[in-house]
Amino acid sequence: MLEIKNLHAGVDGKEILKGISLTINPGELHAIMGRNGSGKSTLANVITGRDQYDVTSGSVTYNGVDLLDMPPEDRALAGIFMSFQYPVVIPGVNNTYFLRTSLNAKLKHQGLNEINAADFMRLIREKLKLVNMDEKYLSRAVNDGFSGGEKKRNEILQMLTLEPALSILDETDSGLDIDALKIVAEGVNNFRNSERSFLAITHYQRLLEYMKPDRIHVLIDGKIVKSGDMTLAHELEEKGYSWLES
Amino acid sequence: MTQFKKQFEALLDYWPHEGSGLRSVRNTAFGRFKELGLPTKKWEEWQFTDFSDLKKSDFQLSWVDDLPNLPKEIPGRIPNTHLIFMINGHYQSQLSGLPEGLTVSTGLDHFNANPDEYNVNGNPFIALNTSMMNSGVSVAIENNAVIEKPIQVIYLMTDFSAPLMNHPRFNFDIGTNAEATIIEHYIGKSPTPHFVNSVSKIRVRENGIFSHIRLLETDGHGTYTATTKYQLNRDAQLNVTALASGGKLFRHDIELSFEGAGAEARLDGLSLTEKAQHHDQHVVVDHGNDACESHQLFKYILSDKASGVFNGKVVVREHTKQTNADQSNKNLLLSPKALMNANPQLEIYAEDVKCAHGSTTGQIDSEALFYLRSRGISKQKAIELIIGGFAKEIIDSVQNSDVKSYIDDKVTTWLESTMHHG
Ligand SMILES: Nc1ncnc2c1ncn2[C@@H]1O[C@H](COP(=O)(O)OP(=O)(O)OP(=O)(O)O)[C@@H](O)[C@H]1O
Ligand SMILES: [Mg+2]
Repeated sequence: MLEIKNLHAGVDGKEILKGISLTINPGELHAIMGRNGSGKSTLANVITGRDQYDVTSGSVTYNGVDLLDMPPEDRALAGIFMSFQYPVVIPGVNNTYFLRTSLNAKLKHQGLNEINAADFMRLIREKLKLVNMDEKYLSRAVNDGFSGGEKKRNEILQMLTLEPALSILDETDSGLDIDALKIVAEGVNNFRNSERSFLAITHYQRLLEYMKPDRIHVLIDGKIVKSGDMTLAHELEEKGYSWLES
Repeated sequence: MTQFKKQFEALLDYWPHEGSGLRSVRNTAFGRFKELGLPTKKWEEWQFTDFSDLKKSDFQLSWVDDLPNLPKEIPGRIPNTHLIFMINGHYQSQLSGLPEGLTVSTGLDHFNANPDEYNVNGNPFIALNTSMMNSGVSVAIENNAVIEKPIQVIYLMTDFSAPLMNHPRFNFDIGTNAEATIIEHYIGKSPTPHFVNSVSKIRVRENGIFSHIRLLETDGHGTYTATTKYQLNRDAQLNVTALASGGKLFRHDIELSFEGAGAEARLDGLSLTEKAQHHDQHVVVDHGNDACESHQLFKYILSDKASGVFNGKVVVREHTKQTNADQSNKNLLLSPKALMNANPQLEIYAEDVKCAHGSTTGQIDSEALFYLRSRGISKQKAIELIIGGFAKEIIDSVQNSDVKSYIDDKVTTWLESTMHHG
């Protein structure tokens, strides 16, 4: 599904990703761990098409299609989604209207009819329950006045509504309280199936315990230095990252 | 200049039987205008705006002959409002069905009853207006009257073949304990240059509640200069929402003075400019009495090679107490060639004050843009959403739902057309 080969990328001539290779197959959930500043969010942003990062070499393909020349909206329409580490506040843009606009963009892209406001409300109420979110957040501007945890839930709400094939969760667990983390992890787990893939970036073992990743990768200074299964997560929890540094 | 003089003399000839009081005010005013001249870039409060086109132009005053056929449908009509309609400066009294509790009079009646209101202190445009005032109305809301529906005053410039000018004069007097909404609505629909130089004086008397909606809608052929003076008596409440869209040049001087304690004013403005349009707004809010509140929010959206000026001043006089004043100016540049000059100022001569002011100018937030696009929304639509969100705060300041949706539509239409040609 997603294939990254020897990816080098950076910003303003400074290299951040220094040769990343990673393959995620349909139905798999991969996790990336690594120190602050190691390049995890940069990788997520390069996959989703943030244009401030320059890719200097390597490739990223999605279902065999080169992603790197595609604008971000086309990547999204192709089924890629990122739950932002820092969701953005968009003043004056109503959360419901925003979500319906993005769902309709997807429906239109698939050649389907757009969803009207009433049907959308029915749909969104169902999804709200899954992330235990109050309806009042729908009438606010996007992420406006949301607490850290509420923003993260709003990201997952969007994921559940848009039903992407590949979801990148950039520290979705950071900022969630213990109960919320459980709810969100369950929401993601119920959403998993044999076709949907995930890349979960996290600092904490707890999320991984819930999600049971197929593969865990450790990113240090822009390179994947080690990959393994859950035992690697336990090892990191115990020993930290320094034993992996050359 | 000689053109203004010619037109002034023509006006005196056209109305030979005017009362001597008005005559002498006109003469004094024109004398003052001649003495001051049009503002130049050397004048501090006028330095960013170029009036040289006015000097070269050959605007003629509008006479009754210039009255075109009435349009089948009056443009800009907002549902559920009372109408006062002027076309090329000519008052269409037959169209104006008005409720009880208010009186509408034309310029001469108002002048005869309130000659003191016509002193010619101030800037050259006030003097010019006073010398040639030829249109406008005065609306007085009686004490204790509550006018439910908004009163829409449409000042339409349309359908003329030579450059036309008008100097409308408006007076809105809101009585003690009265409540009303007036929409002062300028519409310019003509490919021929025109010049509208208005002076509006608004008094809200004790405990009165007044919403003033000021709309300007035109394309790039009109020059609009305006002075709006608000005077608030004790415990009066004023809500202003101003939308200015288009105009080759728009200069608006807003002055607000608190003449009694406990009064409150909100001033919200949204300015939409594209092509080579230029908007210049100067606001002075004068806190000369205790326990008054003023809140200002002026936003500009500038596209193409448009330019904007915002100059806001809050003055808090010595010995006043419990003043609460804030002023905010936010500007969104949609093009690298658009230009904004902002200068918010506070002049505080008292101690018991709560004041804040600030100004920001920026482009579309690239993080917000990426966020929306990462959800499958096209770049164009995402930009429209962000700009619409920027404007929303001002639109939401309007309480009347018909007026609000009218303004909302205008902003959306402007946005769509600007995004498509740009
Ligand atoms: N737009 C940018 N401009 C300049 N430097 C950047 C930019 N984006 C990332 N960097 C730098 O690249 C490095 C990697 O950043 P990135 O956000 O990818 O780290 P991360 O692994 O996600 O860290 P964290 O765990 O703290 O979220 C950091 O040193 C960061 O400062
Ligand atoms: Mg990060």
